[in-house]
Amino acid sequence: MSETHSDIPGPVPAETPVPERGYSMGREKLMLFLRNAMGVFGLILVLLFFASAIFAPLFATHDPLAMDIPARMSGPSADHWVGTDQLGRDTFSRVLYGGRVALKIAAIGVTVALTTGLILGMVAGFGPRWLDNLLLLVFDTIRSFPTVVLALAAVALLGPSLELVLTIVIVTTIPGYARLARTSTLALKNTEFILAERSLGASTARILFVHIMPNVIGPLLILAAMDVPVVVTIEAGLSFLGLGVQPPTASWGTILNEGYLIIRDTPWMVIAGGIPLVLTTLGFTFLGEALRDVFDPKLRRGR
Amino acid sequence: MKDPLLDIRNLNVDFRTPRGRVHALRDVSFSVPRGKSVGVVGESGSGKSTVIWAVTQLLARNAVVESGEVLFDGEEVLSWSESQMMDVRGEKISIVFQDPMTSQVPVLNYAQQMTDILYRRRGMSMAEKKKKAIEMMRRVGIPDPESRIIQYPHQFSGGMRQRAGIAMALLMDPMLLIADEPTTALDVTMEAQIIHLMRELQREFEATLMVVSHNLGLIAELCDEVVVMYAGEVIESGDVRDIFYRPAHPYTQALLECDPAREEERARFLPVIPGDIPDLHMPPQGCVFAPRCRYAAEKCHDVEPKPTTLPEAGHNSRCHLLDGTVTVPSGKSKSAETRRADDTTSPRQVDGAALLDLSNLSVRFQVMGAVHARLTGVSTPYVDAVLDASLSLRKGETLGLVGESGSGKTTLGRAILGLVPAKTGQVLFEGQDLLKLPPGAFKALRRDMAMMFQDPVGSLSPRRTVKSLITEPLEIHGRNGKNLDVEAERLCDMVRLPKNFLSRYPHELSGGQARRVGVARALALNPSLVIADEPTAGLDVSVQGEILNLMSELQAEHGLGYLIISHNLPVIRHISDKLAIMYLGRLVERGNCEAIFDKPAHPYTEALVRGVPKPDPDKRRTLLSIEGEVPSVTNRPQGCEFHTRCKYATDLCRTERPDEQMLSDGRILTCHHPLAI
Repeated sequence: MSETHSDIPGPVPAETPVPERGYSMGREKLMLFLRNAMGVFGLILVLLFFASAIFAPLFATHDPLAMDIPARMSGPSADHWVGTDQLGRDTFSRVLYGGRVALKIAAIGVTVALTTGLILGMVAGFGPRWLDNLLLLVFDTIRSFPTVVLALAAVALLGPSLELVLTIVIVTTIPGYARLARTSTLALKNTEFILAERSLGASTARILFVHIMPNVIGPLLILAAMDVPVVVTIEAGLSFLGLGVQPPTASWGTILNEGYLIIRDTPWMVIAGGIPLVLTTLGFTFLGEALRDVFDPKLRRGR
Repeated sequence: MKDPLLDIRNLNVDFRTPRGRVHALRDVSFSVPRGKSVGVVGESGSGKSTVIWAVTQLLARNAVVESGEVLFDGEEVLSWSESQMMDVRGEKISIVFQDPMTSQVPVLNYAQQMTDILYRRRGMSMAEKKKKAIEMMRRVGIPDPESRIIQYPHQFSGGMRQRAGIAMALLMDPMLLIADEPTTALDVTMEAQIIHLMRELQREFEATLMVVSHNLGLIAELCDEVVVMYAGEVIESGDVRDIFYRPAHPYTQALLECDPAREEERARFLPVIPGDIPDLHMPPQGCVFAPRCRYAAEKCHDVEPKPTTLPEAGHNSRCHLLDGTVTVPSGKSKSAETRRADDTTSPRQVDGAALLDLSNLSVRFQVMGAVHARLTGVSTPYVDAVLDASLSLRKGETLGLVGESGSGKTTLGRAILGLVPAKTGQVLFEGQDLLKLPPGAFKALRRDMAMMFQDPVGSLSPRRTVKSLITEPLEIHGRNGKNLDVEAERLCDMVRLPKNFLSRYPHELSGGQARRVGVARALALNPSLVIADEPTAGLDVSVQGEILNLMSELQAEHGLGYLIISHNLPVIRHISDKLAIMYLGRLVERGNCEAIFDKPAHPYTEALVRGVPKPDPDKRRTLLSIEGEVPSVTNRPQGCEFHTRCKYATDLCRTERPDEQMLSDGRILTCHHPLAI
């Protein structure tokens, strides 16, 4: 090798500000995100939601199931911060514990739906035509059912339970992820780098999980962040109708339902059950939108 | 009128990016005299497109014009309001874009698009507008414009679309016509036609033309004056002959030397300009070209050179060599480094063992389902992309496969590797018929065959690091106890990529660096055959030499057989031993590369060879070498498939398809009337 050749890229690393790893891009994105006030606000709300649910036993002032009959249906006081319900249980503590149900549903539901949707979507996009058509038919069939009606039918058959709520949430949200993953996979399927992998003799599994997945998963994660409040409200809605979590377990939906029954005596339960629902929805929506703006430059340019 | 139509003075443009300001244009000054054509030449990143957008005030929103003046017809453009500017765009200044597919509205037909351009002419009736549009279409050489004007862009071929684009630009009779890489998206034969057309039109309309391109041949054929840009600065400007015959700046000299079309002699090693374009976030203190300049002295790195006027009228350049403060160091030759000169002379060793042998390979694509075809009455629901292709390649040999786009050359390459299924024929690779192998056995053979794809960056998986990309072949085919870290470093050394690049991602690489990664990936398993699809596509002239030299060196070292697919004839000529010319899926001529270039025997080969624009302003072509366009593969002409464009065609050619015949020098040809050799 001649001297001239060995120093070809020589001046480049010294002068370019591009650091060794790709973290210049990561840092750039972080700066963009931090500049987005709504996004930061959303992130704070989301962290608050996680913390309150995970550390509920530490923050709770009372046992959520302990009854204080003399103080039933009371308003806010030094002892009961946002009052008590019709059985004299502390509403603040019940809201905190109710958050655990919401978190459980959201975390498990969204994770399972995301993973399944991602795999099914990639298979549909990359696999043969007939498989694609078959899977699309299944996705569209599921999507054609209204969630609540599907839930009512399922509960009528199987009886209400948290697991059933979870299953319904997962089944109804899978098609959304799968559709998105399928479209992105289709767009990547005929790109040169996939062809290059095939020419190397890479297996289909390798192409899907090593090369397609990292390119597809970004938008899916953003969708998942924005789906969390949807899932939480589905759970609250079903519990409100008495189809989800069963008493005495606290859930935001059951708190709302019970509060609704005694709203003429005290409005505090409805308020206490509604506010976390509103904040969680806002938090995840803001976070999701901020993430989309940061990671999807095509949408940002129009602003 | 002595004052120039467009006068750019000391223009400075910055782009605001999250990583700081990019100083895209620095102190750019040049002028476009009335009735002349000026070419702006530069490699990617030189800022030549930014100049166009600054003149038309269509800069991206994060651009800031720091200082400078743009005078158009004596008036300052930069201070104009948006509505004043809109009156000028399209009316007085119009642009022909690089890619007509994306610059024309796909959902409107040409009549609609062209009458829309005339929307300010309130006095004209619709019928008059349409008549004017049809006339213009006829003028740019679109046959039967009355019926074609109601067609949509997707119904036009690439060359026709570019003609329509020129018609649209000329419709308002603009004072200044800007052409941004007008032929880059086209084939050689189309390029020759468009150059010819633009020259004619300029003479006829007495238009002032500004051509922006990286293609030196195009500039030499089309322009009166040339402006050479590098890294956002004008480093040299002057009359086209001064620039091409007496280049003053070392960059211009090197750029001209790098163009393979200029070399008369066949050289296995092409000249290169080492290094990369500087990062414009912080341009170098001294001369921008100093880090890559072969004459650079200490002063060049510290002091920025001022523009110097040379003895020839209007010839300016920016270099310390010219203001006399720096002299050419003795002992350094004035010509570009022709490294390894000994290799260029030594005869190449071809050990004779057959590596690849294709016989009568055909590839057929189904275009509609059998039922659909039956219902719509289509008797041939398929197209033949490759027909009866026979080729052979020996170890250590390079075969160039050449043809226009749509000739099936890429499909042929892919069919050899089994990426598209072949219909009939035989692919013998080291004695084994690949088409008859079960998939499991084929995978094992893939170790010995590798493919390089067209797009250097696009053929790398975007979320993987360079290290995992170049070691991936080993992961797929088994490591055999090799340490991946060691292997990654070995491959990096082999393609001369610095080791700290191993942790980078493809988007952080330049085209040349990404191409090196592609080469490393292809050679990771020590294959014996490499199929390279357009290995120099997307690379600048100064970089393509590096890649080709690297490929040659590796070939000599490992005895590789290369099948190089390209439409770039000058490059193919320098690197190939054998040549195969493809037209409409058939090989029309094949044989020794040099012999074919010296005396093409097939009329199509002749047209291709003559079609390359020469970067020499005194060798402008006056006659078109080939007319018309490639017919569609769905509707093959009867008889010899080339007869529709062949100037020697006879009745025999129109009725009977010629058989293969061997010429006295071993060339195989499909033509009734071979040219005298």
